[in-house]
Amino acid sequence: MLRTQSTVLIAASTVIIAALAPLVMPINIATEILIFGIFAMSTNLLIGVSGLYSFGQAAFFGVGGYVAGYCFVHTNLPLSAGLVLAMLGSALVAGLVGAFSIRRTGIYFMMLTFAFNQMIYYLAYSWRAVTGGEDGMGGIRRPALDMPLVGNIDLGNHLNFYMLAAALFVASSILLFRLARSPLGLVLDAAKQNPRRTASLGFSVYRAQWIAFVVAGAIAGLAGALFALLYRIMPIDAISWTSSGNVVFMVVIGGMSSVLGPVLGAAIFIWLQGFFSLIWARWPLLFGVFIILVVLFLRGGVAELFDRARQAFTRKTPTPAVQGGSHE
Amino acid sequence: MSEVAMGDAAMTNLAMQQVATPSATHLLEAVGVTKKFGANVVIENLSIGFAPGMLHSILGPNGAGKTTLFNLLTRDLPVTAGEILLRGERITAMKPHQIARLGVGRSYQISSVYLDLSFLDNVWLAAYRARHGGRMGWWKRVGSYGEIRDQACEVLEKLGLIGFRDLPAKAVSYGDQRLLEIAVTLATNPDILLLDEPTAGLSQRETERVKRFIESIKQQYLIVMIEHKMNVVMEISDRVHVMNRGTLIASGTAAEISRDEAVHRAYFGL
Repeated sequence: MLRTQSTVLIAASTVIIAALAPLVMPINIATEILIFGIFAMSTNLLIGVSGLYSFGQAAFFGVGGYVAGYCFVHTNLPLSAGLVLAMLGSALVAGLVGAFSIRRTGIYFMMLTFAFNQMIYYLAYSWRAVTGGEDGMGGIRRPALDMPLVGNIDLGNHLNFYMLAAALFVASSILLFRLARSPLGLVLDAAKQNPRRTASLGFSVYRAQWIAFVVAGAIAGLAGALFALLYRIMPIDAISWTSSGNVVFMVVIGGMSSVLGPVLGAAIFIWLQGFFSLIWARWPLLFGVFIILVVLFLRGGVAELFDRARQAFTRKTPTPAVQGGSHE
Repeated sequence: MSEVAMGDAAMTNLAMQQVATPSATHLLEAVGVTKKFGANVVIENLSIGFAPGMLHSILGPNGAGKTTLFNLLTRDLPVTAGEILLRGERITAMKPHQIARLGVGRSYQISSVYLDLSFLDNVWLAAYRARHGGRMGWWKRVGSYGEIRDQACEVLEKLGLIGFRDLPAKAVSYGDQRLLEIAVTLATNPDILLLDEPTAGLSQRETERVKRFIESIKQQYLIVMIEHKMNVVMEISDRVHVMNRGTLIASGTAAEISRDEAVHRAYFGL
């Protein structure tokens, strides 16, 4: 399921995940997991597919949240316009940050994304008139969703809002799945393994990685906008570098080698956070232990457990997972 | 490995150096290029031109600057001074991917195939670029480009690699990876092939196979080859260029080079 090659299967799996989640947990937790699932999947386009270790993705999540928040606090724009503007705003910022950051590789790339994240955080922190600064941007309304044929859907209803998040979650995973298996996805994978060779074949590595950076930023912005709508407030924490670190944890916990692995990571992260914080005030300590265990003993993330289980079950010899484009 | 033994004999005799001037007879040429890494001069005021329809070999002791010359020709490294001309046009300031799109295909000395990709995907990428320019589709699946897959398979077939089609490159021997490297380079559909030690690390049998293959395609391309194995160089080259310490010390046919004094001094310190 997690390493499937068919778009239909991916669509079916995501629909099933989205349909089952509210049955086993409170609906707002399920919504939050899907939102962070979108965020983590978009981050994995950079980390897993492209090998670009960005530690500044919260900047684009935050920009999306603030743009959507601004639209729904100060204007009467419909829902769709607010979401599209949020994605465009994040894409624009990601386009600028990416244009500089991708010029460097490895640790320098990481530090640049981190530095840009810090800059954007302090911009949000000090621009109180618009962002609310430390107090966050409150009073975000959830406009009704005007659907053809169906009519107005009231998003004040938790289940309706969950369905909106679920629909966007399914759409994002299909888009990211197709992208990873397209020629662009193969070029990104190739550039991750050997950028110099990829250029000598005639591909602009810079352009491919910049496109990935912008797409990841736009989808992170969508997640941020949904997050602002979910809690009707955009807290300053959501744009801080710790939030960038959290989404990287989600990707690492879930596993980078499949589209849905990071969603699993987001679910575990949010669930564990809730669980540990109930049993001990110093829960981040336990959380750290968990992440260390995953990195040491489960390099492929929790998604690898599924593979191991399947191999044990079918008693087949493990076949090396060939990433990127497949010709099966 | 199969390095021809040579000393650090002082190399000052430039008598045989042909001063290449820009001319239409050269498809690809370097004019007065210098490359320095800090204070270290790796290539000094080198002019070398490659006439089309021929197989050129570049010989020279280790550290002569042969691979660096390739890196300058493909702009993997910028020149410190001088110009690179392709079909008479300056390409000195272009980027590597732009030069590749102009029909310059290159293989690397150290295998640079994508180890985690299948043989087919390795070649597919090159064939896709040749077919679609620099565009990169982002929705259609790689597997749905039937025509490009056929082209890629054809190239694999040519090099006798079709049996490895679905294997990741890391699953095969170094020799087969070297062949894949050549297949990938060919699939970019170049006019000019720059082969950096295509037989390095190959067994005698594999070397023979690569040699015969290069000989069989040499009518269709301008081939420039860095090679250490004398039998390969002498048997299939139309022109041999000898470099030492960042300069060209001799150019000519294989027979001329084998009689050249400067070359003997460079290699044997006579």
